Amino acid sequence: MIDSKQATDALADIEDTVRRVRQSLIYRFTSTIMLMWGALVFAGDILSWLRPGYGLYIWIGVYVLATAGLFALSAYNHAQSRIRTFDRRYLLSFLFIVAFGIFCCVFGQFTPRQQTTFWPVYVMLFYMMAGVWFGTAFIVIGAAIIALTLIGYVYIPGMPFLLWMAVVNGGGLFVGGLWMRRS
Amino acid sequence: MAELDDVIHQPLRLKIMAALNALPQSAGLEFSRLKKLTGATDGNLGAHIETLAKAGYVSVEKAFVGKKPQTTVTATAAGRGAFARHVATLQEIIAGKQF
Repeated sequence: MIDSKQATDALADIEDTVRRVRQSLIYRFTSTIMLMWGALVFAGDILSWLRPGYGLYIWIGVYVLATAGLFALSAYNHAQSRIRTFDRRYLLSFLFIVAFGIFCCVFGQFTPRQQTTFWPVYVMLFYMMAGVWFGTAFIVIGAAIIALTLIGYVYIPGMPFLLWMAVVNGGGLFVGGLWMRRS
Repeated sequence: MAELDDVIHQPLRLKIMAALNALPQSAGLEFSRLKKLTGATDGNLGAHIETLAKAGYVSVEKAFVGKKPQTTVTATAAGRGAFARHVATLQEIIAGKQF
């Protein structure tokens, strides 16, 4: 038999393992989402640079594709691991976040350049908030993308800013997704 | 009075069962991920998984993903039950019911 101290240590080991498993599952699924978003955002910024007049339609397309992608990834993940990762509650939360972002853009009367800066900063804020609960990788990725976005906003004038954002935001999400997958 | 489960109580096997038990029923973990989560070596992990499998606490499924072999370990219903009883016994010990 074991004593109370050994039993406490064993339970602490169990709790630590469970915490690591949950974080691993969150990182694994989020990394796939980040890879998808990275590719879509990269394409969105490049297309906006090529066709500046169609920015609104391009980004509506990006968000529709992303929503469909989230459902598809969730279904795949459920088939693979029996874990459901995106459902109506997540969709509603996602829509609330997007709706508030649109509200800010409209009432703040943001210029296209300011909107290009606002969205990554706004979305990365949620990544950083998620990091408080789910692991520091979210905070590091969010802070890095926000910092690089603001550097581009201040130092890169004109249309090349969209190319910078394709690399920083799209590429940042992609690299962040790969890093998170290895964590 | 409940008894500690000797098969589960070994530290690495306890971690393996804790990890598998944290997943939804019938969901499993790949060998490589389990190795990373428990910090065990290949040989050590393999030997302890075999012990758990012999006790009927885990099932081991081997498949090929592309050309790569992949081993997935899943806690069985018996394993989940044994793990729950083991945790309850640990809690009883802490509460001082057994000593």
